[in-house]
Amino acid sequence: MTPSHSCRATAREDHRPHCVPTDSYILEMRDIDKSFYGVQVLDKARLRVRPGEAHVLLGENGAGKSTLIKILSGAYRREGGDIFIDGKPFCVETPKETLEAGISVIYQEFNLVPYLPIYENIFLGKEFGGAMFINKKRAIRESMEYMEMIGLNVPPETLIADLSVAQKQLVEIAKAISNDVKVLVLDEPTAAITDKETRMLFAKINDLKSRGIGIVYISHRMQELFEIGDRCTVMRDGRFVDEVCLDAVTEGDLTRMMVGREVKLVKSQRLKRANPQPILEVRGLCCRNQLHDINLILEKGEILGISGLVGAGRSELARCIIGDFKRDSGTVKYNGEELVGGIHNSIAKGVVYLSEDRKDAGLVLVHSVADNIALPNLRRFGKVLLRKRSMVETCREYIKNLRIRPADHRVEAKNLSGGNQQKVVIAKWLCSKASVYIFDEPTRGIDVGARDEIYGIMERLVAEGASIIMISSDMVELMKMCDRIAVMREGRIATVLDNDDELTQETLLSHALGSQLVS
Amino acid sequence: MSSTATNGRGGKSINWSALTLYIGAVAIIIVFTVLCRYFGRNFLTITNIQNIITQSSIIAVIAIGASLVILTGGIDLCVGSMVGFVGIFAGLLIKGGTPVWAACIASIAAGALAGLVNGALVSYGKVPAFIATLGTMQILRGLALLINLGKPISRFPAELGKIMNAKVVGSMPVSVIYVFAFYFIMIVVMSYTHFGRHIYAFGGNSNAAKLSGVRIKRIEMSAYVLSGIFAAFGGIMLLSRLSYADPNAGSGYEMNAIAATVIGGISLSGGRGKIGNTLVGALILGSLTCGLQILNVPTYYQTILTGLVIIGAVYVDKSRERKAE
Repeated sequence: MTPSHSCRATAREDHRPHCVPTDSYILEMRDIDKSFYGVQVLDKARLRVRPGEAHVLLGENGAGKSTLIKILSGAYRREGGDIFIDGKPFCVETPKETLEAGISVIYQEFNLVPYLPIYENIFLGKEFGGAMFINKKRAIRESMEYMEMIGLNVPPETLIADLSVAQKQLVEIAKAISNDVKVLVLDEPTAAITDKETRMLFAKINDLKSRGIGIVYISHRMQELFEIGDRCTVMRDGRFVDEVCLDAVTEGDLTRMMVGREVKLVKSQRLKRANPQPILEVRGLCCRNQLHDINLILEKGEILGISGLVGAGRSELARCIIGDFKRDSGTVKYNGEELVGGIHNSIAKGVVYLSEDRKDAGLVLVHSVADNIALPNLRRFGKVLLRKRSMVETCREYIKNLRIRPADHRVEAKNLSGGNQQKVVIAKWLCSKASVYIFDEPTRGIDVGARDEIYGIMERLVAEGASIIMISSDMVELMKMCDRIAVMREGRIATVLDNDDELTQETLLSHALGSQLVS
Repeated sequence: MSSTATNGRGGKSINWSALTLYIGAVAIIIVFTVLCRYFGRNFLTITNIQNIITQSSIIAVIAIGASLVILTGGIDLCVGSMVGFVGIFAGLLIKGGTPVWAACIASIAAGALAGLVNGALVSYGKVPAFIATLGTMQILRGLALLINLGKPISRFPAELGKIMNAKVVGSMPVSVIYVFAFYFIMIVVMSYTHFGRHIYAFGGNSNAAKLSGVRIKRIEMSAYVLSGIFAAFGGIMLLSRLSYADPNAGSGYEMNAIAATVIGGISLSGGRGKIGNTLVGALILGSLTCGLQILNVPTYYQTILTGLVIIGAVYVDKSRERKAE
């Protein structure tokens, strides 16, 4: 649907009476719909922000927060619903119009040009001066005013690349103020800055609030939300759940709202293993700033889940185990023997990783399915010269067993659907007869049918004696599949829980968020 | 070879890209045959065909290395300078009394070493391939001029000429055998060995290759080493054919090698295309030159036409992709 269509819908809706007068909100997003490739990611999502408030937008990974914000910023087009700014209907066409309407979004990855000075970044696209020459003096003078306002004490000629993350954030805020911002969206602003810098940021946010600017604040850090936020909109599965005053709720309430109704879940029925033997042991693993003192044991024949928010270090842990990332300290032992020497050694031993990003790191998209399946297993098909016929036969076998569609080994991997691509990745490693599989988000972007097939393959694998680490943001899937679930938070293992009947999504989420669950 | 499972292009039973290439090659031959006939000359004679292959042989050999590097997604600009350097280097050795065979081995070792430097800079040093090989291109040319103070070398023993010009079957020179032997070996290597498949995988998606256990740095580096070796061999071929070493020899060869590669349909983004088609690409360029010479077209026009063929070949190849989008 085109935006112009949405505008007509707005005009029609305006005749209806509203229970809350829209003019008391500086921003109102009403019944926003959006789908990607037939999957509804936003279903009547709502967001209402008052002037001078900090409004928290809360939801699990994939609840639709980012999509909603991207619709607001003009990066995505909505398929239904209306947006009002200052009570007036607003049709976003381009990101530039959004800026002109007074909406600024500060993403985690900043929108700054690294090798230009601060003042040029602040006035990028709206430089002072005539048709030919830029009035540099005026830009410097005015940018200093804005920088003073937000307490950024560096020369305006400093290059963005030379600033710290917190300082870049301030430049973004200064840029927003220079745009006469009405609504400022901050996406996980404290994810990469220190506690002290967080204090300073909060002081600035309070300052902006007192100027009547509405703040939309996205963060997973519970304590922080209560400190900075006034009201909160909770989202789940692309839908609006509730709008609450943060004074009136507890962390436990919010967690329950995010998780929602009890999902019916059929736990996989596997026999409890009699005498657990460790097959993979991680001891004191540290990696750069991303992993801190990880201790974890994978038992033979189990599925160990790894839960946690995006950015908690789950994929980094997997890459550290297989030897892709260099370990700063700590050991990984496989069958009592230390796993060293890089990825090809791990693969030779039978420890393999199925990346969350199939397109970027799982498959060679421009090569055939057969080539992809054979790639890590060339040794099986000949020491010097490869036996092509046996290669093709083996690949056909896996295509048949895993029901890869289309059932043609010559098709280029890029022409397969997400589910079938995932099956090709799995086939690669089944063919290598690995014994430890690390699945990273194995069902992301995959339709329900293929999802069940992938669960089935995993069940079969452990039944045949393999062991699996399953990283997933989908708690329901972890609780369905896993024997135990480790929860990661900010590069550490927060806890390891037995997946028994008492385990709830609330428990998992509260460990992932680091909040105390009020039960 | 009936299965197309491993040709890097995969896909349907008809390989459109290769087909376009062969149609183009045949079209060029037909056009020249007709034109030559019109002007009362013959194009498709055994002598001409041999000439085309002999004249293209050096570029064809160098283009093997260029294709390998381009399959990894890189580029090797220093092969032309390598030809010039090897000529002077081997020439000085031979003049100094080194046996011809030993001088050849030393030259190839020098080529491998230069390739190793390129490869190490690109894969371990993360220097963009264009920059790294642009640097070594200048350095090698400089060395070629320096080691004999810019002077050419001539009057070599007749033994040297035999490397290229010895006749094996009838009037066919041995250089033709080199070309076909090298291409045969490389076609097998690229399609039937771990090394070849790893080159394709690395060029197609280095992340996926890495997670599949391909030692990507080694693989990338070895492509440059091989490129250096083939370029050095090309240098010896030129020295042997001319019996004359010029420090400025081979300039522009790197571009001809790249042209043969892209006309052959190897994608500059890496991972796709067949090395055998590079030979077709080199022969197309060779027959173009040869045909225009027979027609007495001035060299200026030849250069312009070569440029048009390069652009046209890739344009036609990409037109299917454009339609698909």
